[in-house]
Amino acid sequence: MSKYDPIVYQDGKRLFYRFSAHQRVQHVILFSSVIILALTGFPLRHAEEPWAKPLYHFMGGPELAPLIHHAAGSVLLALFVYHTIYWMALFYKNHIGKLKRENRVTPVNIIKEFFSQEMVPNKKDLMDIIHLWKYLLYFSKRPPRHEKMSWREKFDYFAPYWGIPILGPAGVALWWRDEFSHFMPGIVLNAAYIMHTDEALLAVLFLFFVHWYNVHYAPEKFPAATVWLTGYLTEDEMIHEHYAQYVRVMIEQGLEDQIKPQHFGGEEYEW
Amino acid sequence: MVKFIKKVIFKLYVIFLMGFTVWYGYFMYPLIFGFEGKEKAEASLMELGKAGTDKERMFVKLIAEKEQTKKTDLGYRVIDQPYIEGRFHNIGISVEPDNGSICVRCHGNVPHDHSKEIRSFLNMHAFYLGCESCHIMPGKDAPAWEFRWYKKSTGEVTDNPVALVEIEDSYKTAESMRKYPMYGNYGAKIAPGKIKNGTFTFLHDKNDMAFVNRYIVEQDHLGPEQKSQMKRVIHDSVSKKPLQCDRCHQKKSPYLPFAKLGYPLRRVSELTDTSVVGMIRKYKEFYIPNFLTPGGIKD
Amino acid sequence: MYKQLLAKLIIAIVCFYGFGDYSYAGDELNCVLCHKFRGLSRIDKDGKFRLFYINQELFDSGPHRRNKCKDCHTDINKIPHDPAKKVDCTQECHMVEPSSTEKFSHKSVAKVLSKSVHSPVDKNGKEKKFKEDYPGCKDCHDQPFYRPFSIYKGQLKAGVSKRGISRCKSCHTRGDFAEDFYEHVTTRLRKSRFPMETIEACAKCHQDKAFQERHDLDDVVTTYKQTFHGKMIALGSERTPDCLDCHVVEGENTHLIEAQDVPTSAVYKTNVQATCRTEECHSKASAKLAGFQTHVTYDREKYPLQFYMLVGFKALMAFVLYFFLLLIFLELLRRLFPGFSFFKEKNNNSGDN
Repeated sequence: MSKYDPIVYQDGKRLFYRFSAHQRVQHVILFSSVIILALTGFPLRHAEEPWAKPLYHFMGGPELAPLIHHAAGSVLLALFVYHTIYWMALFYKNHIGKLKRENRVTPVNIIKEFFSQEMVPNKKDLMDIIHLWKYLLYFSKRPPRHEKMSWREKFDYFAPYWGIPILGPAGVALWWRDEFSHFMPGIVLNAAYIMHTDEALLAVLFLFFVHWYNVHYAPEKFPAATVWLTGYLTEDEMIHEHYAQYVRVMIEQGLEDQIKPQHFGGEEYEW
Repeated sequence: MVKFIKKVIFKLYVIFLMGFTVWYGYFMYPLIFGFEGKEKAEASLMELGKAGTDKERMFVKLIAEKEQTKKTDLGYRVIDQPYIEGRFHNIGISVEPDNGSICVRCHGNVPHDHSKEIRSFLNMHAFYLGCESCHIMPGKDAPAWEFRWYKKSTGEVTDNPVALVEIEDSYKTAESMRKYPMYGNYGAKIAPGKIKNGTFTFLHDKNDMAFVNRYIVEQDHLGPEQKSQMKRVIHDSVSKKPLQCDRCHQKKSPYLPFAKLGYPLRRVSELTDTSVVGMIRKYKEFYIPNFLTPGGIKD
Repeated sequence: MYKQLLAKLIIAIVCFYGFGDYSYAGDELNCVLCHKFRGLSRIDKDGKFRLFYINQELFDSGPHRRNKCKDCHTDINKIPHDPAKKVDCTQECHMVEPSSTEKFSHKSVAKVLSKSVHSPVDKNGKEKKFKEDYPGCKDCHDQPFYRPFSIYKGQLKAGVSKRGISRCKSCHTRGDFAEDFYEHVTTRLRKSRFPMETIEACAKCHQDKAFQERHDLDDVVTTYKQTFHGKMIALGSERTPDCLDCHVVEGENTHLIEAQDVPTSAVYKTNVQATCRTEECHSKASAKLAGFQTHVTYDREKYPLQFYMLVGFKALMAFVLYFFLLLIFLELLRRLFPGFSFFKEKNNNSGDN
């Protein structure tokens, strides 16, 4: 089904497949446009701060920066639409297709299949969260064992899914305010203004700390994780973050006898 | 060993990240809930609202605002200048503080208030003359003071200010006047001193004035009588009658050796003859006989 | 005794002996002989700092440069000066208004101002409450500057360009005529002040808490600065509106700012849409655009929508961010004690969820 092998070997080390090139390109477009949007948007949000004016002028000044902001926003919106079509197609191909082949196309089965997708939250995530708190509060000795997508990664994934529907339409309304005024009352712009600026603050504060902690600051990742470039995780990373998947993949590949014990804390990394 | 060092670095990094996390939480707070700076400005304005009398209000305002400035953007030039409430004309340039004089630490930059008709003139002179120049005279039989320029920024002796001649000549042409729009601003002041063992020291020399500095620092902890005692001592050398205008603005041996201080000859002759002296003489005759006798006038 | 003597001896002007070769055009009395000193100053009995310094260079950079000192300070006749009256901007000065034969004066501006919300008397000629709060010329205007610009080969540039002015100078060769008119006219072709300076002028009163309370006004300046219009100006744009653009009816004298409840006001309920939709601004918008609220204070009763949205977003933000911050903090702490647990689990690798 996939053109990628679940495990590849490089210099005698095991690497585990995670993201296809297609997905990686989407991520690059996503973060570039978000960074450009933040750099052209936040000086405006905090226009009175001393850093705002120099940064804004670096980003093109009052004449050019709005154009850049609009362009980057359009790219992000387009990506959002594209990605939605992308996973719908995948869902149709891999899940509905399977049901069709097995002649089991019923609404209940479709819903079941929907929740069996790897990005959709499920019961295991709830258990993992409970387990995580047990671990963090010293009631358990080891952290939860995640499948391919941990609940945190799912949260990260769905953050744009709630952020862009708020930010995007609000941004478009503010951009085409004159045209929008023909079928919307002016106060909608007040609402759009709050939606756009506050949701953007939430997104940026979240990305630049929580997400960057996961992929930059964390001791085992510092200075930066490489999976977004290579598409593969090292064995250490797999054991640390996706132990359940690790065990499953190793068994599937007939490497049962080489499964390493779970480790955590980050000290065990070879760095 | 290497393992141990790795372990230590790891733990230190984790602790650093914990600190970073706490800082981020602190950093986010005003971003989410508003701005600290605004609240502060608001608080001082609130205090202003509570102050009762005009005097109180003025104090609160002065303390809250410190020195105000105003920016004017002409597109091809930005003018950043001090702002004085109610003033119409532009000032243009800020004045550097006089760190060399200990007097200004209490008396400020605009000390003259007594002689109503000429107090502005006296304050004008305070711009380039140290207080001692007019307010401390040598004893009757003591040798005359030596006068030198001191740098406002450090209080040290400086040669005749480099720009002195240029500034003094600046109003000859429009271009040079544009270059030095603040007349008399040499970044230096004239002050008296003595020659001890062949080296020159100012009366306000740091070592000689150290006790005044000490007083300023300690004054809150002094008893009321001690305070009066010390004030008496500090102002002991101040002459009862300050230097009079025509002691300097006269042709024959002016009190201040203008030429020696570096003034161009043309300016010396203005200061000691014709215009300035003429003005003084006129006022003395036509207006108030005592007009130009600072300290000797009573309203 | 002195005063009598003084009164008798009002000698109009003290003429000084030839003093310097250059004195600027307006200063035929050589006032700058003294007033060029930056230190010429005193503290008055109310504690106000009075500075009598004149920066000639800056004085020469504005439209008043052709005025003599005495054009405005009419009652200063001798030295030392008697206490002088405040300058009356509505008096006539020596210049002739070129479109008529009358002497120039700012009287017409004062007339317009007296009809505006900023007049200390109301329509019926009755004095308003707190009349000392109402502004005179000097409260909004400092000594004005020229803000010339030039266009050469379609390129707009701030300042006077040599090439630009050469087009005037080929005919108008006498004196400073070309310079004066070039700067005057080009300054008037755009706003004579950078928008932020206009806003600061309004802020002097309108951002003052005590003033707002006295007149029952919202903090319109801070709320304006929170809008897109205000923020773009803070970032150096001149294209978004400042206070005057929305509070003066299109084409009216800038000094005619009227209260919200006056039917002819630019911000009267039914007029806002016209003000927003002027040709230079939101010309393509519908009248509904006027429903946008500019001076939003986030007051619960006045602006419920904005208030609840803001509270909602802040709560969401605080919850999400501090939740993850706590999680990361605890996780980091956990890394320092990786093996510790209150309960001893039998097997480190047991259990799967």
